Amino acid sequence: MPQVTLSVNGKSHTVEVEGRTLLVELLRERLRLTGTHVGCDTSQCGACVVHIDGESVKSCTILALQADGTQVTTIEGLAKPDGTLHPMQEAFREYHALQCGFCTPGMVMAAIDLVQKHPAGLSEKEIREGLEGNLCRCTGYHNIVKAIAAAQDVMHGRRSELARAEAAE
Amino acid sequence: MAAAPYHRPETLEAALALLQDGAAPPIILAGGTDLYPAQAAAEAWMCPAPARRVLDISALSGLDGIEDRGEHHRIGARVTWAALRDATHLPAAFDGLRAAARQVGGAQVQNRATVLGNLCNASPAADGVPPLLALGAEVELASAARGTRRLPLAAFILGNRRTALAPDELALAVLVPRHGPGARGGFLKLGARSHLVISIAMVAGVIEVAAGRVAAARLAAGACSAVAQRLLAAEAAIVGRAADPPALAAAILPRHLGPLSPIDDVRATAAYRREAALVLLRRLVAGLAAPDRARVAA
Repeated sequence: MPQVTLSVNGKSHTVEVEGRTLLVELLRERLRLTGTHVGCDTSQCGACVVHIDGESVKSCTILALQADGTQVTTIEGLAKPDGTLHPMQEAFREYHALQCGFCTPGMVMAAIDLVQKHPAGLSEKEIREGLEGNLCRCTGYHNIVKAIAAAQDVMHGRRSELARAEAAE
Repeated sequence: MAAAPYHRPETLEAALALLQDGAAPPIILAGGTDLYPAQAAAEAWMCPAPARRVLDISALSGLDGIEDRGEHHRIGARVTWAALRDATHLPAAFDGLRAAARQVGGAQVQNRATVLGNLCNASPAADGVPPLLALGAEVELASAARGTRRLPLAAFILGNRRTALAPDELALAVLVPRHGPGARGGFLKLGARSHLVISIAMVAGVIEVAAGRVAAARLAAGACSAVAQRLLAAEAAIVGRAADPPALAAAILPRHLGPLSPIDDVRATAAYRREAALVLLRRLVAGLAAPDRARVAA
């Protein structure tokens, strides 16, 4: 069987896989990184979004072999070793940007790439458009958009701490 | 799906050599965003396709750029929709193709899916085809036995999921000829929602306005026939007219959509598609002729 060598969350792995093995299967079933979810299996819902070399991709439509030699980041790779959350994770918690949580790993990964690609900042409309590849079936977009708007200020260094959600929300 | 060998050659020669096995040519993979969903859908409907070898072209060099070669721009086989979307330096004639790039799938699909893969996949609703027909694009193909050849896009896509690509050929690039400095491109797509949706109907055009008149026009419609079509009668109806947006829109008549043969399906009826194509086409030419039309921001 062919081998794939890739870095996942900073750790190098060499794994034998079948040609047909999808990246998400490698992550979930071989490396036991089950934070990346499979929703639709047809590259629509975005629950499986991970980063390959910093760019968001849907890991359910990429063969594991296509990721050979790349750096993959999954939701498990965002928090610091001491447990400090990434500003985007912190914002999703602060703004209660989830209901059932199934879409959340993909939303967070997609949101980080979106914010990183727009250093000048994103409007609410741009955030909504940027999330077009991620579906939330609990209709939780409202708070997701607020969380991303708050997280971008921290990620771009415009605020040192996350703006707190108002108690009424 | 049974295990199938996977090849990721690093030279074009090695890739073309792998395609010479006429008995079982491999399926060519670039971004891969169509390959797996198609297989998953076939399995879900209990009719899995036989496993095929995979030829992954993602390690081939020289296919990942959009190059200005003077008489044409060359879009390599590995150029993604995201790269095209972000290519703000391209002339205004490309604005329609770049608008399509923003509407193909979502951001993650745009990061992986390639422009040329969209053409080779040959879906009747492929977003890349109408803008590239309007641009007069050609496709460059290579084989070990016969070298390279070029085909106009209209001669490359033969039908629903059918192309002129021979089993031993690899599509290398899309070539977009240079247009006049006043040429502007546009693209309009109608779906059941604004994003992440397969088109009900779409139109694209490149229009050149000189001295207040339409000097040249190339219009095309997609998702309204097995293969997207140029609309020559609609083009003839506006060329030479004053570039007055309402008058140009009114000059386009239902009979100008003759080449279209829309179908009834889950997304829309044929009659609705025909009507939608007409409305979109009128909006497109009016928008392209408006003197104050701002170029679409990147």
